[in-house]
Amino acid sequence: MLEIKPIINALRRSKVGAILLLIQIAITTAIVSNAAFIIQDRMTYLQQETGYPEQDIFSITVMTYGKDRDLSQQFEEDEALLRNLPGVVDAALSNAVPLSGSGSASGMGLKPAPEPGRNVRAGYLFGDAHMLNTLGVELREGRNFAPDEVIVTQDPGKVPNVAIASSTFVEEAYPDGDGLGKLMYMGDKPFKIIGIVDKMKGPWLKDDRPDNVVIFPYIKAETYQHIIIRTEPGQRAAVMQAVEDKLLAAYDKRVFTNVITLDENKRQYNASDTLMLRMLMVLIVVLVAITALGIFGLTLFNISKRTRQIGTRRALGARKSDIIRYFLVENTLICSGGLMIGCTAAVFMGQQLLQRFSLPALELQYVAGTAIMVLVMTLVAVIFPARRAAQISPSVATRSI
Amino acid sequence: MFLHYIDLGWRSLRRTPLVSFLMVLAIALGIGITMTSLSVYHMMSMDPIEHKSSRLFHPQLQTMDDGEETWSEDNLPYQLTYQDAKNLADAPYPEHKAAMLRTGFTLHMDNSEIRPFIQNTRVTHSDFFTLFDLSFIYGSAWTQEQADAASPVAVISEQLNQKLFGGENSVGRQIYLDDTSFRIVGVIAPWQTHMKFYDVNNGAFNSQEDLYIPFSLIAAMDINTWGNSNGWKFQNIRSMKDKRQSEIFWLQFWVQLDDEAAVSQYGDYLMSYMAEQQKFGRFNREQLEYGLRDVNAWLDYRNVVSEDNEVLVALSFMFLAVCLANILGLLLAKFMRRAPEVGVRRALGASKRQVFLQHIIEVSMLGLIGGLMGIGIAQLGLWGVRLTQEYYSPLATMDLTMLLSAPVIAISACVIAGLYPAWLVCRTTPATYLKTQ
Amino acid sequence: MLIMKNVSKVYQTEMVQTHALRDFDLEVKEGEFIAVTGPSGSGKTTFLNIAGMLEPYTSGEYMLDDVNVGKLSDNQRADLRNQKIGFIFQGFNLIPDLNLYENVEVPLRYRGIKAAERKKRIESCLEQVGLGSRAKHLPQQLSGGQQQRVAIARALAGEPRFLLADEPTGNLDSLMARQVMELLEQINRDGATIVMVTHDPELARRAPRNIQIVDGQVADLTLYQGVAGQTDRQVVGG
Repeated sequence: MLEIKPIINALRRSKVGAILLLIQIAITTAIVSNAAFIIQDRMTYLQQETGYPEQDIFSITVMTYGKDRDLSQQFEEDEALLRNLPGVVDAALSNAVPLSGSGSASGMGLKPAPEPGRNVRAGYLFGDAHMLNTLGVELREGRNFAPDEVIVTQDPGKVPNVAIASSTFVEEAYPDGDGLGKLMYMGDKPFKIIGIVDKMKGPWLKDDRPDNVVIFPYIKAETYQHIIIRTEPGQRAAVMQAVEDKLLAAYDKRVFTNVITLDENKRQYNASDTLMLRMLMVLIVVLVAITALGIFGLTLFNISKRTRQIGTRRALGARKSDIIRYFLVENTLICSGGLMIGCTAAVFMGQQLLQRFSLPALELQYVAGTAIMVLVMTLVAVIFPARRAAQISPSVATRSI
Repeated sequence: MFLHYIDLGWRSLRRTPLVSFLMVLAIALGIGITMTSLSVYHMMSMDPIEHKSSRLFHPQLQTMDDGEETWSEDNLPYQLTYQDAKNLADAPYPEHKAAMLRTGFTLHMDNSEIRPFIQNTRVTHSDFFTLFDLSFIYGSAWTQEQADAASPVAVISEQLNQKLFGGENSVGRQIYLDDTSFRIVGVIAPWQTHMKFYDVNNGAFNSQEDLYIPFSLIAAMDINTWGNSNGWKFQNIRSMKDKRQSEIFWLQFWVQLDDEAAVSQYGDYLMSYMAEQQKFGRFNREQLEYGLRDVNAWLDYRNVVSEDNEVLVALSFMFLAVCLANILGLLLAKFMRRAPEVGVRRALGASKRQVFLQHIIEVSMLGLIGGLMGIGIAQLGLWGVRLTQEYYSPLATMDLTMLLSAPVIAISACVIAGLYPAWLVCRTTPATYLKTQ
Repeated sequence: MLIMKNVSKVYQTEMVQTHALRDFDLEVKEGEFIAVTGPSGSGKTTFLNIAGMLEPYTSGEYMLDDVNVGKLSDNQRADLRNQKIGFIFQGFNLIPDLNLYENVEVPLRYRGIKAAERKKRIESCLEQVGLGSRAKHLPQQLSGGQQQRVAIARALAGEPRFLLADEPTGNLDSLMARQVMELLEQINRDGATIVMVTHDPELARRAPRNIQIVDGQVADLTLYQGVAGQTDRQVVGG
């Protein structure tokens, strides 16, 4: 038999303690379920596949100030030099580095401008036939650039006429699945899609189209340029160390900066999400610990206040298990009240967060999961003091204090 | 009496070390976590140029055709086109104004002592230094004549001066930007703010540029931006000249307007400017629109305070509330257990007020200790923030305001939590506890 | 100095009304030493609490030194208590964290007396109860009799003119009880008015005036000096 009625009466007499517990449980539930949901959301984001072998790739930024050499030719030589370095798989000059948070994007038209037509946003990279191999991505359909399709030039009037695109882009632009061989337009310039890459990410993971990427066979060597390099597994650190000196030895009127691995680039771009993730985790852990401690302390206090009453109950024939059950039931009552308020608050808070901030809508299973966790936690926090209460000797009832 | 209460409070805390420790820990954690997120928030939301922020405005012009959309919340472009920036900067009104963009060069000294390095550079009008109250250690801004002639002159920061010239007066010395020789005309003292509020496009908390050159060089040297360029319509751009004549947004522009009248007058001016430009086939719109926000409104509009941080601040305060509920419970238990002693004190002539005060002072002490420990925890938290995100390094610190706020928040929080228990304990009838012990 | 007229005290709980005192009349004159006896639950302690202004009364009039206590605010009552009244409890009620010196100091602090003056008075009071050498001890290091002497010192420190003692010897053996009683008699000779609640007929008999409280009403035994002993025996028996 559960003695719910007397417990409720007892609770009504010590309202403040019960209300305090209720508030703690409610706020904890509201915070933890929302925080857990945000954590989960960020985890998924941070752990997403990028399509690149990130741990084998690094990039370097070069700024050339010397004017005594032809830049295009210099970079051709640099690429050859890098590709021949021991440990290097491939290297490619590029206008931007994927995942780095810096690059170019444009709406790719299905009709030449200024004709009206649908535009599909995509990040774009300039590079030669080595680009795919350097990035470590593979073609799903079609072919790589042929040497004569790559335009190496300083003349803004000369542009290539083919492109390789990510499957996500092609599927969005040509939903019928026949994108290969189709023409798309950047401004009024037509490009034929000759190859489709399964998966690759653009410069911004937080772009609204992070998976839409197009590669053009175009090398317009500029004074400010990036070089992407892929190494044999395990060779990256050694190559990174050597590469700047080798390139400077080839031509020294330039500055190399930002020798950075692809994973580090991604880490820096995502640092704020990692930060949020860690802060929320700390918050949840400490919060749950504090709430558990609070319940623990309050139960202990309640028991010490009721020592005599418990002794009397024992003297009147209550078994130890009855005493433990009394406290467990009492706690469960308070806790379910707190959880009901807490779940409502969690949903309300989720709505507020959704309205005010660009956070996704709270999924209800997080609220449910949190509620169960909080209930278990409170029961664990109560069981130790309750068992202590059960040890109270019936004789305290007869002893006067 | 006050000192006596502190003494009593201290004894009381020592009498129940475990409970006291738990309470202090709860406050310390609550304050620590709140102060960690609040400090970052405080640094992010701080007014970067307090004495002047309400007089500096960033104009925006709606140059896009009807039906075109950009990312901003009011659909006004964040930046200006070159032609608008130049026209507005060349206008006679208002007195102080500067258009600007960020670019970069390889800086070298034409000798082997200093290795060439890449230098972020701001290209702007000489009024930039007046607008943002930058003071000169050596020399001054470039003259109007130098600007008109697009002379290769530069103002550098004290830090760069230190690096290049060991901190001595470098006015008149030469540096090379790419392959052009520039003459230094001034050295400015460090900025008084950590925020790059005048150009928040590529991170509002990156450090300010260390090199400043005249705006007229954009055309003279075909300088492109290292910041954002955003276009909204197709234009065939083959050269920097094309870009300067295009509708691409790539410049920032600030004006100083000293009062309401000046603001509305400038608004009228912007309207008439747009109407005038319509004659050249630009501004194809039913309704002409402009934006004119002062510094703080601008930072707010550009969401300089990260959303994540706002969420964290809100969550931390809720967390603090849980800690308080916890402390309230513990205080209640502790104070009620002390009711007999209070009965004796009341019998010996203590007034309710004195008893109340005694307990409030005790909880204030809890708050103070917890607040001080909380500062320690917050330092740990901020260290973690700096470790996770280098970009936040200048933000993840506690300034004096925050250092002082920590104990103040802690004490106020504790007093709030202590009010009810202290009231309860001073209200009990003294006689109840005297008979038995 | 103390006049109670028709004083009543009713305790109201959810179900029952209990009359602790009803139409209680008493006059205590300056310099008297009164012993109050009566069976358990007769209202002795309630009378003492009301006399000491620790509890409000329900109706009637209570004048202390020509001041109508019923008209005072809580703070004024606290001040009056602090200045005129000294308490001695059965359970001593020393504050466990404070040493003897600090315990005696408590009422003096609430009166706002300067530190030097406090020191003089505390030392003289502790000397008077024979504990001058143990000022730094904590209460739990003393015997019950010693603790009660500290409590008396604390009551005396404020130089009260009116001392209220609730079973001051209740927790003490007879030897110690006699010592405490002698101390109280000495204090009375020095000028203080004393009202002492007690169960002990022997002690009660040593007081010049005895009153008995029965069912919340007063019976002044000095009016029947001859049968006092007999009544006492009844009380003890009951």
